[in-house]
Amino acid sequence: MSDLAAPGFPEEAVRLRARTGAAAAFPPAGDYGQVLFGAGPDGPDGLTGPADRLDALRLAPPVFMEQRLAKLIELGREPTYQDVDLRTTIGGLRSTAPVYLSALGSTRAAAGDLGPALSRQAGALGIPMVIGENVVPVNGYGRLGEAAGRSLLGRLTAYTERLADGVGGVAVQQSTEDADAEVWNLVHSDPAARPLLDSGRLAFELKVGQGAKPGLGGMTVLDEAAAARVADRYGLDPLFEGQRVLRSSSPGTFTEEILRQQVRLMRNNFPRVRIWVKLHPGRDVAAAVRTAVEAGADAVTVDGAEGGTGWAPAAFPRHVGLPLAECLRRLGALPSGPPPGRLLVSGRMWEGSRAVKSLALGATAVGLGRAALLAVAEDPQDGLIRLVECLRTEMRLLISSLGKYAPDALGPEDVCSPDGWS
Amino acid sequence: MTVQTAQGPTPPADPGRHLASPTTRSALRIQHHLLGAAREFLRGEGFTELLPPVIGPVTDPGARGSKQVDIDFYGHRYKLMTSAILYKQASLLAFDKIFCVAPNVRLEPLETAGTNRHLVEFHQLDVEVAGASREQITALVEQLVVHMVRSTAAALPAEFEELGRDTDAFHGLLQGAFERVRHSDAVLDLRAAGHDQNPDAELDWEGEALLSAKAGRPFFVTDYPKGSRGFYDRECPGEPGLLRNFDLIAPEGYGELCSGSERTNEYADIITRMRETGENPQKYRWYLDLVREGIPASAGFGIGVERLTRYVAGLDAVWQASAYPKLAGVVSP
Repeated sequence: MSDLAAPGFPEEAVRLRARTGAAAAFPPAGDYGQVLFGAGPDGPDGLTGPADRLDALRLAPPVFMEQRLAKLIELGREPTYQDVDLRTTIGGLRSTAPVYLSALGSTRAAAGDLGPALSRQAGALGIPMVIGENVVPVNGYGRLGEAAGRSLLGRLTAYTERLADGVGGVAVQQSTEDADAEVWNLVHSDPAARPLLDSGRLAFELKVGQGAKPGLGGMTVLDEAAAARVADRYGLDPLFEGQRVLRSSSPGTFTEEILRQQVRLMRNNFPRVRIWVKLHPGRDVAAAVRTAVEAGADAVTVDGAEGGTGWAPAAFPRHVGLPLAECLRRLGALPSGPPPGRLLVSGRMWEGSRAVKSLALGATAVGLGRAALLAVAEDPQDGLIRLVECLRTEMRLLISSLGKYAPDALGPEDVCSPDGWS
Repeated sequence: MTVQTAQGPTPPADPGRHLASPTTRSALRIQHHLLGAAREFLRGEGFTELLPPVIGPVTDPGARGSKQVDIDFYGHRYKLMTSAILYKQASLLAFDKIFCVAPNVRLEPLETAGTNRHLVEFHQLDVEVAGASREQITALVEQLVVHMVRSTAAALPAEFEELGRDTDAFHGLLQGAFERVRHSDAVLDLRAAGHDQNPDAELDWEGEALLSAKAGRPFFVTDYPKGSRGFYDRECPGEPGLLRNFDLIAPEGYGELCSGSERTNEYADIITRMRETGENPQKYRWYLDLVREGIPASAGFGIGVERLTRYVAGLDAVWQASAYPKLAGVVSP
């Protein structure tokens, strides 16, 4: 168990899942018959809060279930939660569940052994993995002998180690500064990426922004020597004691036309690669999603303000950006609704109810960030695998309770808001 | 989309055998004459030949899906040129009409090794003219190509015979006045023929090959959509989203020979277009400083020397038009 911590995140609950897997979706078996359970003022587990609108929603199973009847007819027996088929196509990549591993970037927390451990387990699970921006500029590509595991090539190799045929895939992110390192061109022409490219399991994700610090670029803290090495590429600010320096990426300038044309150029340059776009939770997020989809993006990720593993200025998590629930509400208010099959969301995802509510409100899949890191910190061998096992079980329980048997059967009718949703 | 993967002949592993082969010798003699004829023509039109740089802090980002080669320039990351475009525009501060035969290196995607039309290292006959319009520059391309082919076909009958290339194939070309087809019309043609061409993108290789195969003489494709080309191709003021550019496509399935355009030369337009093409303007500092002070409006083009040689010589693959061919992913001298 590492010293990784995530204050404000349900850390202990994630660690429990990483240790015990699907059993953690239930109260301790030893408490059965001895403890009375029920929702407390801050949610049933005392870890979520009513301030989060997504958490405040309730899933609302109906009494009459037409889709359950259809499943009953198909199976010739009463369906159970185990009959829920979680397989989902996420941005053109086939996944064993409506779940993907979010970009963890070059943050120190994702460096070391955790990055490769995550990659290996995501591959074994058959869920897509996003490789974050800055991995190449900071950790190198890996072809010329850089610290192998941390490099982009190291993560690709770890991911494909136990990857089954026909599922999963890797989305490689590039941001404005990464364009200098030509991350996409590099991957596109690299022999190591060719099996993924040839099997249609390679995606490139244009990073427009991120949830933790909307409107800003990536930030890390470096010592002076490390900062000097990147001075020609990044903004530096010697803010801290102990000769430590704030290193900032520029967020990059986007207008509607810039986003449209960047997506088109990606499709032009990489016709065999799936095109993803990651947005910060801006007030015009619905228009941005629509622009990206109309330009031909296979997936658009909306990272809620509660998302992110990276370092952010203190004012941001509390005061800046739309919470994921508000993003989903605005997307739901579009005349055409959220783009079918193309919306991915992230932000405090770790358990089934938040995920299933997001799917009901129009998302196709949810991204795991902090939860994935904590899970491999708890058990580098199998922590993420158990966490996702638990998540899958919970999603099956919840989806079947709604009388449905596939994630894309969910709809806004499956959630109920005490104060009205839209 | 399906990428063309037809495997043609592959270069011999022994460079000596390649150099001594009669096919190589004839192809290189034809190439030599084509370049001589181009120089003769362009000098006659008042052009000055410049020697282009091979390395620089930044190069053309507009090469579809290929990687640039980084080199360590005394601790600074420099690039081998993928094309001379930035220097062509800058050179108009010295002369109004310039040309060069420029070496380019692009680490193309691995699947291009089998297309018969991609080389990692190749040359372009680059031409740029201050104040020219697309109409004027395409007229120049026509005259130049007609002169190069006519002169070479007349001078080297023995080489064409050695290669089995019937010079009657150039009958249509030598008439000049190549047809102009708008990109949007080419897309309609391809879709009508059952090919799923993306209307917002370059003609893909398969689509281009289809159009090329059914043509009897070279033709221009004009007005490509913005998301398909680099920031330096000028956007049409009257038709936003379309570019004042063109490709010259060879007949008989040989495909693209040349790309060109009117150029973006206004500072704010260039910065905006850089962002639309995903570029970080910071690394283009020397170029943007020049643009800010003012560079001439211009139009220009680059003819792929090995591709033109392949077409004229009737070769199966473009590597046969190079003395030291380099294909994507193939280790070679």
